[in-house]
Amino acid sequence: MRVRQAFVVAQREYLARVKSLGFWLATIVLPLFLAAIGILPTLFLFKSVSAHRVAVVDRTGELGAELATRLAPAPEAAAPAAQTAGKAEAEPGTEGFEQQLERQLEAARFEVTVEPAAADPEAQQAELNRRVLEGELDAWIWIAGDALESSRVEYHAASVSNFITQDRLQDALTAVAREHRYRNAGLDPEQIRELARRVRMTTFRITEEGGEEEGAEAGLILAYALFFLLYMVLVFYGQQVMNGVIEEKSSRIVEVVVSTVRPFELLMGKLLGICCAALTQLAVWLGTMVAFTLPGVVSAMAWIPEDVDVPSISAGLIVHFVLLFLLGFFVFSTVYAAIGSAFNNVQEAQQWAGFIVIFLVAPVLFFWMVINDPDSTVSVVASLIPFFTPLLMMLRIAIKTPPFWQVALGYLLTTAFTLGMIWLSARVYRTGILMYGKKPTLKELWRWMRYA
Amino acid sequence: MTPLLELDAVRKSYGDFRAVDGVSLTVEPGSICGLLGPNGAGKTTSIRMIMDIIAPDAGEVRFFGRPRQRDDLLRVGYLPEERGLYRKMTVTDHLVFLGRLHGAKKRRMVPAIEEWLDKVELSEWAGKKVEELSKGMQQKIQLVGTVLHKPDLLVLDEPFSGLDPINQGLFKDLLAEYRRDGRAVLFSTHIMEQADKLCDRICLISRGRVVLAGELKAIKRRFGGNSYRLVASGNLDRLAAVPGVARAIAQDDGARLLLEDDASGAEVLPRLLEAVTVHEFRSEEPELEEIFIQAVGDSERTGGAAGEERHAR
Repeated sequence: MRVRQAFVVAQREYLARVKSLGFWLATIVLPLFLAAIGILPTLFLFKSVSAHRVAVVDRTGELGAELATRLAPAPEAAAPAAQTAGKAEAEPGTEGFEQQLERQLEAARFEVTVEPAAADPEAQQAELNRRVLEGELDAWIWIAGDALESSRVEYHAASVSNFITQDRLQDALTAVAREHRYRNAGLDPEQIRELARRVRMTTFRITEEGGEEEGAEAGLILAYALFFLLYMVLVFYGQQVMNGVIEEKSSRIVEVVVSTVRPFELLMGKLLGICCAALTQLAVWLGTMVAFTLPGVVSAMAWIPEDVDVPSISAGLIVHFVLLFLLGFFVFSTVYAAIGSAFNNVQEAQQWAGFIVIFLVAPVLFFWMVINDPDSTVSVVASLIPFFTPLLMMLRIAIKTPPFWQVALGYLLTTAFTLGMIWLSARVYRTGILMYGKKPTLKELWRWMRYA
Repeated sequence: MTPLLELDAVRKSYGDFRAVDGVSLTVEPGSICGLLGPNGAGKTTSIRMIMDIIAPDAGEVRFFGRPRQRDDLLRVGYLPEERGLYRKMTVTDHLVFLGRLHGAKKRRMVPAIEEWLDKVELSEWAGKKVEELSKGMQQKIQLVGTVLHKPDLLVLDEPFSGLDPINQGLFKDLLAEYRRDGRAVLFSTHIMEQADKLCDRICLISRGRVVLAGELKAIKRRFGGNSYRLVASGNLDRLAAVPGVARAIAQDDGARLLLEDDASGAEVLPRLLEAVTVHEFRSEEPELEEIFIQAVGDSERTGGAAGEERHAR
């Protein structure tokens, strides 16, 4: 292989991508998009949620008013009502971000009116139905006289698929009913709440550098983010390689090029150039990630509640990420290149490309298994299968440092496999790029590999 | 003179199909060589073997008098039959890329690119993307890309197919320039009229075999004999008796004269002037098209190479 020729090709591939607007749009938009996913919902929740207007008919005469208090929007400072609502067990200050959000949700979402129970239940229900249908109300709740004993309450609304809202209502009703029962049994609800307090487990991650407090959630978010980032770039850039090969073939530029560059040089140059483009993009993304998780920056971001753990990204993790990306890229891209070379247009190639994606998606099926038990036999074996190593080893390294030999073996096997794939793909590629016309059969592809 | 390119009994089969079956040809400096043949004769396969895009099963390709080395191809300008450009690249970037693939340095190429674009009147398009150019303009860019690195030899596969008259003219000028400079051109075509006008030598192949090869003039002489057109008045019956005339075929206003092999028009003309009143006397070569049809027909009848003269100078 003449390195200079491959380098000229690589340079073209790299510049063709990096000079395009789409590349930078994707590079900048993705972090913004992720940030938006983090921030926007919070903003929306705090601001504008249309209230759920509920009429409560309480035939026990005991529960209705209390339910209304519990669900009514509470002033932010004086929060006892809101705080005791729903998550009565949660201790102030120890509850997570999610619970805080939930609390906000509940506080903002209901507009409860207690309707006196009329003498004629049927007439009253008909009247309530009319008000719902006319849009005066969203729903009404019927608390029958024996509700405390039967534990049954009815919810009537035009749409009953709003299960989150129903869940909240049910939680609130349960809490109200529970307190009544405690009091009826002569117990002090405050005391019970105090005694039934949840235990909170603090998680520590043990690493070579010593123990470090880290939220389970934070570690999970990091593992999740790295895993899917890797998955995304492997799929995206694999497709880029395939489309690039097809474009060269269908535009007939390839024959001009292969008169001065050997197909193998062309293939290597192409992979190298696109790989560098991917690394450029990853550098921006990882840089952003690291910058935003630096301790100083985190505390400066006011929108993150103080008690939310932000994962810390170590240099070692980034090195592994880049290495695994390189392995994954070369394994999958050579296959994508071979597929691209064999067909005349993207449509023809797509079904084969879909077949490759299976190998990329398979690790996703192992995701929870590995997260939960990264050292189980299944996790270890799956992470050593070359097609799966890039993604699954990434996941394992992100959640718990695996034994050195496993990491080394994974790298070694995948490297050997990658070289094999490059060799095989190059044979298909050099025949495929000059074949126009009909779609090759499997048998023909096999022949290209053997005789080319 | 060392030939720029030689093919020596090159073969290529695909399964049982012999695409190229022992083709030999030579391209001398300062000449234009036409690789002719009907569609499917093996022209593109031969050219791809010359360009090391496919490997011959047997035979040898020599450049500049020695067995081909891979870097020899950097001194060749190649235009494939199936040709294209990267649509998203700018004209200049594209030409720089093609030049660099041929080992040229970017710095040195920029003035050459400007010069060429000026020559083909595309200077204002230098910074535009290829996809914005019309088809004719793209053809010009392909032409520039082929010659930008100042190759010693051009190998053009069906260069005229799909060209508009302006670009055909550009190509013809280019070919003439190469002949003048002592460089050389090998081009394939199935249109005999073009070969007739442009080539010094031809290599006619059919079904993967050479059926006729050599200097175009010699071939024409051999196939058409020593043929002249005479417009004259007087007693035309006396023409056949003139020394040096083998046959005289009477026509409306004169005759078609076939001279004896060792006779030349210059020798015969004074004798003709004595015999009749000559208004016009000119050599009338057979069209290459006729030779082509005859040669291909012969080779199909005999099942082998009719052109025993092949590979001769």
